[in-house]
Amino acid sequence: MTAAWHADLQMLSAYADGGLDDVRASSIEAHLLSCETCRDLLAPAVPAATIDRVWQGVVIATVAPHAGIVERVLLRAGVRDDIARLLAATPSLRVSWFLAESLALGFAAFAANVAPGGGADAALFLFLVIAALAPVAGVAAAFGPGLDPTYEIGIAAPMRNERLLLMRTLAVLATSLAIAGLAAIALPGFDRAAIAWLLPSLGLCLTTVTLATWIRPVVAAIVVAMTWLAVAASVTAARSDPVAAFRSGGQVLALALIVISALVLSRRRVVYEGGVAA
Amino acid sequence: MSLPTVEIADVHKRFGRTTALDGVGFDAPTGITGLLGPNGAGKTTLLRMLATVLAPDSGSLRLLGWNPAVADERLAIRRRLGYMPQEPGFHQTFTAFEFVDYVAILKEMTDRKARHDEVARVLALVGLEGVMERKIKALSGGMRRRVALAQSLLGDPDLLVLDEPTAGLDPEQRLRFREIVSERASDRTVVLSTHQTEDVAALCPRVVVMLDGVALFDGTPRELTDVASGRVWLAPERSAAARLSWRTPDGSHRNIGEAPAGADLVAPTLEDGYLLLVGDRAFAEEAA
Repeated sequence: MTAAWHADLQMLSAYADGGLDDVRASSIEAHLLSCETCRDLLAPAVPAATIDRVWQGVVIATVAPHAGIVERVLLRAGVRDDIARLLAATPSLRVSWFLAESLALGFAAFAANVAPGGGADAALFLFLVIAALAPVAGVAAAFGPGLDPTYEIGIAAPMRNERLLLMRTLAVLATSLAIAGLAAIALPGFDRAAIAWLLPSLGLCLTTVTLATWIRPVVAAIVVAMTWLAVAASVTAARSDPVAAFRSGGQVLALALIVISALVLSRRRVVYEGGVAA
Repeated sequence: MSLPTVEIADVHKRFGRTTALDGVGFDAPTGITGLLGPNGAGKTTLLRMLATVLAPDSGSLRLLGWNPAVADERLAIRRRLGYMPQEPGFHQTFTAFEFVDYVAILKEMTDRKARHDEVARVLALVGLEGVMERKIKALSGGMRRRVALAQSLLGDPDLLVLDEPTAGLDPEQRLRFREIVSERASDRTVVLSTHQTEDVAALCPRVVVMLDGVALFDGTPRELTDVASGRVWLAPERSAAARLSWRTPDGSHRNIGEAPAGADLVAPTLEDGYLLLVGDRAFAEEAA
């Protein structure tokens, strides 16, 4: 559509250069919306650099981050946008992962409440085992070849990989522990036993991360989980106590694992940087 | 001639019982160096070393004047490196913009505005400005290759390592790729691998032919073509003297080898030189 009156070229040039006051600029802008003739006159007067800059701004405003749900939650929690994006790419920081973990723990807690006698003991053991191992699986899936599709590009990038690993491990641990902590409230006769998985879980996670400096993280997690499961099940069976593996002996063992793993990891962490012989 | 920015000397690498690199060595100066070779020749292993992803078992490597075996120097290399792996992985739920933005963060670009400007720039460079908001999983294979190329161009790196960058691209996209890479190669170093002798002919002033983990040839495309000079002839049938022979569309046979007396010699191509060099093994792969 073309209006009945037209702005003169001098005024349009001044507008294009940003030389008009706000009132006249607003008036011209309102007129341009409905006047094709003046738009055609204005177009050649606008410097190419200005058009590029404005278009770039439009692109960035419209395309740039329409963040996914995890990233949005992190941003709302005050996490810096670049860190939120790095965490959002973590395979084990997905809604589907959280749901799977919640369902497994919820089921075990439910069974511990409704199952009769020995069944409740087995369900409690199951709950503690899942609560301890869920973070291990999450940490193994958070970083490394095979599960992280951009692993190789990440290795070749300057950001220190141990920093990325640490960030993701802490995020996975925090979410896993929060889910397990909430599910523990639903256990019958909620007491210290409900959080007895905490220290073993930390020990197993750290052992997995350390072992992953020699073998793939997923293989490390499987080795750690199976070994620990065998030990926990045999101790439980021998003492007829569903939380036997989580009592003081188990806690001391977990603490020892944390200390030893931390010491070994401090010497082996350079392997995570890639480009060095393992 | 400029100083070499990539120096490789007697590099060995084994994976279990398999020898991937068996004493490979060459220099790559500013400009484009193409690695040509059949599957399993060791090209990808070598490029992963140039990208500082993999360490050699023995031998020496210097990139942009630094030693990637030393932590601080490796970091300095990574700050000036762009890398496109042979099979780049993607976070499928990200859009093209988000994915390249993610890599930009890994490249220590923390200022959001500057980073987003750079992401938009490299995506426009590879002709993907119209699909920036599209999820990676909704992009075609060729578009994904271009997304992978875009991330390698972030920050205008001094050393660009591209593993089979033209695989899966249609002829028009390959032309566009050649433009993008050749524009950047005037004052930077690009090392790329390819199966396409046309890519080498069109793009690389320098070519290294690899076979069984060693550099079999190191020179210009013209010199590689000259390997087959006086050794290519046409005949109605496959010649007994030919090391390699195949039927051409016009029905005659193109023979490569020691030409018999009176043979109808023709001008060799880059492909003839390459095939003659790597022999029957490469020919079998090309035919398959």
